Amino acid sequence: MIQNFISMNGYGTFVWLSFAITFLACGIVYYKTYKTLKKYEKDFAKELNQLSEAERKLVLEKSKVASQFLASYNKSI
Amino acid sequence: MFDLINPSKIFLWIEKLINFINSIFFILLIIALTFALILSPPDYLQGDSVRIMYVHVPSAWIGLASFTVIALLSILSFIFKIKNLNLITKSIAPIGLLFTCLAIITGSIWGQPTWGTWWAWDARITSMLVLSIFYVLFILAHKLIEKEDLAIKVSNIIAVIGVINIPVIRYSVDWWNTLHQPSSIKIDGTSSIHPSMMLPLMLMLLVLLLYCALILLMKYKTEIIRIKKKNIKRI
Repeated sequence: MIQNFISMNGYGTFVWLSFAITFLACGIVYYKTYKTLKKYEKDFAKELNQLSEAERKLVLEKSKVASQFLASYNKSI
Repeated sequence: MFDLINPSKIFLWIEKLINFINSIFFILLIIALTFALILSPPDYLQGDSVRIMYVHVPSAWIGLASFTVIALLSILSFIFKIKNLNLITKSIAPIGLLFTCLAIITGSIWGQPTWGTWWAWDARITSMLVLSIFYVLFILAHKLIEKEDLAIKVSNIIAVIGVINIPVIRYSVDWWNTLHQPSSIKIDGTSSIHPSMMLPLMLMLLVLLLYCALILLMKYKTEIIRIKKKNIKRI
């Protein structure tokens, strides 16, 4: 039964190859996207933390996204 | 309405949505794969090779839909001058390219046992190849043109020209004699596909759409952070 499932009545190579290529490509794109996002998050948090107290306050006041980002980033680490 | 896509409004939601999709994704993937590879019946003509349809057809639909959305958003961005729409189109393009390429590759693999050839310069296949070229041009416009405003203008023009190819792809099987079979699934309800095959197809489509949403959200978040990072220096 398992052999039948793997061979797919002679079409196994084509079926498994299609599914493997699809999920491998999706996995690679997911990994690369995730890595890039984490790198940007890390760099952005580092830049915000390197600012002086007054500069950071100004940035966080002017940018809602920066303040939301810093709050969620600090929570996640 | 466009205020809803304002980064400051949706930034927190992006993280929540990513977590939500991650939590349900693998369960849905296992269910969809079980239906696609085990529970769905083989086709009476094509046998088990029909299972390739469960990755090929959703990939093609996503490739077409992504470009249509890119073109629509490009037109809206051109009319209303909303920069956020360009961030979205820029984030969608790699997803569309991925699925267009997957549709071409899995179609080629399906072609070997069905038509006896990996490739034919058939109207449907060739027009899909043209779509992938438009995706590449769109992405290259953003990568190679340094002036952001010019990159946006060029990519918008590419999207508007490229969208002409979408109806060509859709109706290529009706307009020309092609190796590719006519559409089995129609929106008007006259689909010729059996429900036992329709269910796995819809489940795989749902899983791949969730994957697209996940990548889109991560890419959009990356773009927002990139812009905010640039703006820190200005403040």
